Amino acid sequence: MDNPLVQPDPGLAIWTIVTFLVLLWLLAKFAWRPLLRALDARQDAIRKSLEDAEAARKAAEDANKDSAQILQEARAEAEGIVSASRAEAERLRDEIRQHARSEAEGIVKDARAQIDLETSRALRQIRGEIADLSVGIAEKLIRRNCSQEANRDLIEETLKQIEATAPRPN
Amino acid sequence: MTWVLAATENVGAAAGHAAGAGEPFDAGKTIIEHVANDPSNPIIRLPEVFGIDFSITKHVFMLWVVALVVFVAITWIVRRHQRAGNVPTRAGVGLEMVVTYIRDSIVLPNVGAKWVRTWAPLVLTLFFFIFTANLIGLLPVFDLLKLANHYLIHADMHHSVFGRLLEGGTTATANFNVTVGLALITFFAIIIAGSKANGFINHWKNIVPHGLPWPIYIILVPIEIMGMLVKPFALTMRLAANMTGGHIAILALLSLIFLLAEMAKNALVGIAVGLVVATPLAVGISGLELIVVLVQAYVFTLLTAVFIGLVIHVHH
Repeated sequence: MDNPLVQPDPGLAIWTIVTFLVLLWLLAKFAWRPLLRALDARQDAIRKSLEDAEAARKAAEDANKDSAQILQEARAEAEGIVSASRAEAERLRDEIRQHARSEAEGIVKDARAQIDLETSRALRQIRGEIADLSVGIAEKLIRRNCSQEANRDLIEETLKQIEATAPRPN
Repeated sequence: MTWVLAATENVGAAAGHAAGAGEPFDAGKTIIEHVANDPSNPIIRLPEVFGIDFSITKHVFMLWVVALVVFVAITWIVRRHQRAGNVPTRAGVGLEMVVTYIRDSIVLPNVGAKWVRTWAPLVLTLFFFIFTANLIGLLPVFDLLKLANHYLIHADMHHSVFGRLLEGGTTATANFNVTVGLALITFFAIIIAGSKANGFINHWKNIVPHGLPWPIYIILVPIEIMGMLVKPFALTMRLAANMTGGHIAILALLSLIFLLAEMAKNALVGIAVGLVVATPLAVGISGLELIVVLVQAYVFTLLTAVFIGLVIHVHH
């Protein structure tokens, strides 16, 4: 054990342990914990900002998708409205046409009835006037040549004949 | 750098020898003086406690220097880092890279996510402490001071604190008493890790595999207890021997200058050998030492993490 390189020196070993433990305590307190905490904090911050960016991207994508869907829906709705109003217009037109037609028909019918009424009244008037005229004429004639009685019978008969042959007003 | 200064310093000594001091150049003694601690001549002598000499020797002093350098440098960077609002500064990025590498590639895979926060500070401190101690051993600060003392200050090498400060090796981790201390830290860290993870009793039960026929335990228990002690012993020897070996190789190469000069009785021969053989080889080995400094700090750190991981996750 003469060689100084392998001389046991327990004092030095103990000094080493003491020095090391003091250094360990100091570094742990003032260097390692703050540093490792800072590293973790930065790691968390980076991870969080990445996640946030990803979330933002996803949100934007969703918004895009939503707006596309809304647009699609709006377009479909507009198309629906247009086609509905077209059908409505068609229906309305048909209805109006129908209405007008039936109204026109009514007018025509009324007119025809009026015409018939007037015609028959006119005919009756004409017939009356014709009868009076005929009577007057016949009177004048008969006064000249025959009794009033005979003439009247004749006239009646004649009138009956006319009546039978005359077209009847509706 | 060490060799150049050692060389210049020894040129003075050799010149002294050549001048007829009569004492031949003793390579072994010179080398050991440059590597070893000298407990018989401490910087500050303290009384013995329970028969243990707690005097402040050169290597105790070097441990304190290393601890101070590590603490100041790292807390300074961390402080600046914090003041920058957790945005990495230039010095911070370098420290962060090393710290995250040790945490995520050494501690995490071995001890597992649950225990990273518990054991990362120990492993980090071990790495920076050993690495700095190894590296400071490569810096020829004391050789420079010795040179200055020899020519300018003239402090007595044995009777003044400053003079005693200059004697002996500067690489504390080249002293196996220091590495024993560090390995004991690992040894107790292993026991604490196992006890914290599995309970104190279970930790000791876990030393051997469960459920084997009893005669096997007669062989196995001593083997496992030996293994438990061999781990820190291997750490001790690996680090101390590696740190000593490189220095001795460099010093041996530089000793060639004086040995050959003495043999030829001509200083020019020594200078020629120094320029052509000794210095280039010493430079090469110093380059190698730079790698060894890092690798040994890494190995000690890694093995500590591995040993701690082994007792936390018992695979039998």
